[in-house]
Amino acid sequence: MIKKIITDAKKAIADAMDLKALDDSRVLYLGKKGALTDLLKGLGKLSKEERPVMGEAINEAKVQIQKLLESRKSELEEIALTKRLLDEKIDVTLPARNFEKGSLHPITQTLNHIQDIFTKAGFEIEIGPEIEDDFHNFSALNIPEHHPARAMHDTFYFDSNTVLRTHTSPVQIRTLERQQPPVRVIVPGKVYRNDSDVTHTPMFHQVEGLIVDKEASFSQLKGLLIDFLRAYFEKDDLKVRFRPSYFPFTEPSAEADIECVICGGEGCRVCKKSGWLEVLGCGVVHPNVLTAVNIDPNEFSGLAFGMGVERLAMLRYSVNDLRLFFENDVRFLNQF
Amino acid sequence: MNISTRWIREWANPDVSDSELSEKLTMAGLEVDRIAPVAPPFEGLVVGHVVSCDKHPNADKLSLCEIDIGDGSNLQIICGAPNVRKDLKVVVATVGSVLPSKLKIKRAKLRGVESNGMLCSESEIGLSESHEGIIELDMTATLGENIRSVLDLDDQIIELDITPNRGDCFSVLGVAREVCVNYNLSMPSTIYKAEQKGSRPFTSKVANPSECAKYLTRVIEGVDNSAQTPKWMAQKLLRASQQLHSPIVDITNYVLLELGQPMHAFDLKTINGDIEVRSAHKNEKLELLNGQTVSLTEKTLVIADEKSAIAIAGVMGGMKTATLENSTDILFESAFFDPISIAGIARSYGLHTEASLRFERGVDFNITRQAIERATELVLEICGGTASEINECVDSKSLPALEPIEISNDKISRVLGFDLEPSWIESKFKFLEFEFTTNSANSWTIKPPSFRFDIRIPADIIEELARLYGYDKIPVQRLSINANISPSSQAMISSSDFSSSLVNRGYKEVITYSFISNEMHDLVDPNSTKILLKNPISDDMAVMRSSLWSGLIQSAKSNIRRGHHNARFFELGQCFTGTLVEDQVQKIAGIICGNRHDSQWAEGEREVDFFDAKSDVQALLFHSKNIYTFETAEHPALQLGQAAKIIKGNKIIGWVGALSPKIQKSLSMPNSFLFEVNQKDIEQGEISCYEPFSSFQASQRDIAIVVSKDIAADQLINSIRSLKQDDLVDVNLFDVYEGEHIDEGSKSVALNLTYQSIEVTLTDEQLAEKVSKIVAHLESKFSAKLR
Repeated sequence: MIKKIITDAKKAIADAMDLKALDDSRVLYLGKKGALTDLLKGLGKLSKEERPVMGEAINEAKVQIQKLLESRKSELEEIALTKRLLDEKIDVTLPARNFEKGSLHPITQTLNHIQDIFTKAGFEIEIGPEIEDDFHNFSALNIPEHHPARAMHDTFYFDSNTVLRTHTSPVQIRTLERQQPPVRVIVPGKVYRNDSDVTHTPMFHQVEGLIVDKEASFSQLKGLLIDFLRAYFEKDDLKVRFRPSYFPFTEPSAEADIECVICGGEGCRVCKKSGWLEVLGCGVVHPNVLTAVNIDPNEFSGLAFGMGVERLAMLRYSVNDLRLFFENDVRFLNQF
Repeated sequence: MNISTRWIREWANPDVSDSELSEKLTMAGLEVDRIAPVAPPFEGLVVGHVVSCDKHPNADKLSLCEIDIGDGSNLQIICGAPNVRKDLKVVVATVGSVLPSKLKIKRAKLRGVESNGMLCSESEIGLSESHEGIIELDMTATLGENIRSVLDLDDQIIELDITPNRGDCFSVLGVAREVCVNYNLSMPSTIYKAEQKGSRPFTSKVANPSECAKYLTRVIEGVDNSAQTPKWMAQKLLRASQQLHSPIVDITNYVLLELGQPMHAFDLKTINGDIEVRSAHKNEKLELLNGQTVSLTEKTLVIADEKSAIAIAGVMGGMKTATLENSTDILFESAFFDPISIAGIARSYGLHTEASLRFERGVDFNITRQAIERATELVLEICGGTASEINECVDSKSLPALEPIEISNDKISRVLGFDLEPSWIESKFKFLEFEFTTNSANSWTIKPPSFRFDIRIPADIIEELARLYGYDKIPVQRLSINANISPSSQAMISSSDFSSSLVNRGYKEVITYSFISNEMHDLVDPNSTKILLKNPISDDMAVMRSSLWSGLIQSAKSNIRRGHHNARFFELGQCFTGTLVEDQVQKIAGIICGNRHDSQWAEGEREVDFFDAKSDVQALLFHSKNIYTFETAEHPALQLGQAAKIIKGNKIIGWVGALSPKIQKSLSMPNSFLFEVNQKDIEQGEISCYEPFSSFQASQRDIAIVVSKDIAADQLINSIRSLKQDDLVDVNLFDVYEGEHIDEGSKSVALNLTYQSIEVTLTDEQLAEKVSKIVAHLESKFSAKLR
């Protein structure tokens, strides 16, 4: 009798194709009016000897059926989940919702890169006005009226005393007017020259650097700039050379060249076959500049440097036309 | 300056190649921009003599020549040049020779007659573009000699980029001095003395000796200015990019290049009386050598005869007194003009001459006499004539003072960061022609030579030593640590924070020119002061921008024209309302137009609107915890009714709105939305300060009211907030509706009120009472009706 019930239950459970059918089977065998419950109810009619034997058999059957029910239940749940997963499957390669790629201008990215490197070396960032007076842009920087360097600057004027700054160097003066040494600053910003052709735009960017301290030497300037250039181009063995040059506001003055990053120093169109690229100007601050801001050149020395940001960006990103930076064509901007 | 290395080597000839020499000059501070051979490579070209020249039997334009190249047998060569004739000395490309064009000369038959080579023009051997005829060599050329040596073609031209401090290097003499200093060579003498047989007196005087401390003149009579400038001189001048004129002018140019002294030659017969160096009279007229007539200013120093100005001192001579081919008597001038007085004069007349270039930077005041002697020597040699005595006006106290400079080894080490040997230093002083006395073991007093206008202070001497030591050899050191930690404000929002917010919202950064056109200024921000450039590049770049919008509108426009319709651009930059420092403020602005998103599968397309721009500008504002309000306002660039000023406290700190239809029309722009804020007003945030939050449940109540359309959302919200009701923690407007079931002129507004007490859970009754108070307030203040 019990064997039959178990066999039937086994079949019913196996045949149950969903949780509802499975529950029906449970009721049929284990429910209040189920087959096993009926048997339990009939125990009283059995003899004293038969009763425990039968009781145990019924309980065992109950446990067995319960196990079968549970295992079938998990099977069915598994099947249901698999089906749901199948139903809910999506094409994950469809484009994302509302995604637009914004971008920082390559000049800003270059400026950020330069600033990051110098702030690591303890430099503060200063900015200054773009419309400058003659004093800050020229005379305080040891460029008196009629100095040949003025003619080379192609200055934009508002009136005889007011100009668009031709370099970021006036911020050297503004910083020293405000702050006593030690000073260690860099100055990113826009500068302007009245010149426009394939290799010149009337507005461009520079980063100026200034150190004023009791001990500041040309050797340190060399060390700093070599470290900077190697960090900027991410090349530990980048060749850097320093050549004597002239700036009215530094003495000694130098220009730094790096090995051509386009041809690796072999000679190409970009480096005019020289293997070298001029990337920055620098020098020991001229005593007249320190004197102009009431700093005693016998007590303090200054180191200064300046670089063209577009030039560094062009080399870094292989941009071959300066004017692209100011055309703001999305086909260009999208690449950065 | 262009100069041939051969010429330099006549003065200073180190045992190195031209390319090594040019590298050395570059590393010593005389930057060589370019080094180029005067002639391309070719081989097998020799000097030939045209023994006979007859017409080709079968061709009118060809000649049949017999050429002797000195090897005993004559070559038969056919030549098509019009200038070929008997007894010329010519350039012969023999069979087997290779021209710069890689053309290999072969035996050939021209119109049935054999030709064994070719006679060459300048273009065929790469000397110039000229192919007007074959080269006619000097008759002294030796038959069969290699053309490269005959024409001195194994020479190179170096282009020097001379810095403004090194005026002394604008000559062969100056460059040669540099070569000598760098290779430890000694300089040849620059003492010249021309034969002096004449006795024609000439008087000149100087009215302004402070501007002209030396003025030397000399008469040379009976010269033949129609003579030929000798080839050796012509070749040097041409290789220095000088044009050839008459021998007298060529000689002055030659001396200028050789010694660095600008000179002038007047035709003596055209000068009226004596010469005076004086300031020009106001508006005095002078026709210059270049044909330009200038009206002189009083600060211009001129050379004048008794009638009028005949030259601008140190810049250019006058037309009337110029030497011509038939000039016979000349007056040479060699002078020292003060660099500061001469500076800027040439430029003020739109001139830039070889003379002004040198005088502005400083010409050696001890070469004045040598130059006039040297020029005389050359004139006598080339044009003949008799030279008279030199007339000399010198005011020695007006000459540049060569003050002694004290320099110590200590100072040198401190600036350079390493020690130099005193003996090395002294040896370099000698090569630099510095007069020096040794004060103590490590200290010197120096007097610079008269040609070095750039050596005036100790730093100048240190630079000399550093560059001669070699910048590349200077050791490398690290900066000493600067442990000063400067104050840094955590609540300060940086430019890159602002940029990142916009980039993350899909904006692309642009950088536009700070100068814009008058038209754009008048369209976008007509009420702000117009800051005009005196000398703009063009009308499109004449006014300093007061707003970033003009650049942004133009960036959007040019991209739309190229088919990129969904523009989202921003820019950070200075804007100008004056020329003072405080009139220059940094702004952040953006423009959007087209669809909010690119076409996509997930959502429909939607054009951008005001609230997209507002959302983006809020992303900037909410970096700080300041309170900003938006109020309806009018702006010339923005559409009436879709424009808001952004206010912090009482100050307008920015704008957001739709581009006005008028500007849209005049610039052919689509619907666009703009925003702009002053960075300074939004960059200072606050340090957060923790407040305990309630652990009791918050309750939400929604109310819907009908109010007049004119009542702004902010008015309702601010008014509710102004009640300062206890436990009201948030007011959120979540729906606005106009249309069916709502009276014309009204709108329905749905507000969500959040209540939360810090102490208890609020009961329904308490909440109902609070809400009804708000409703009552809205009813009385805005005539609102509960829906």
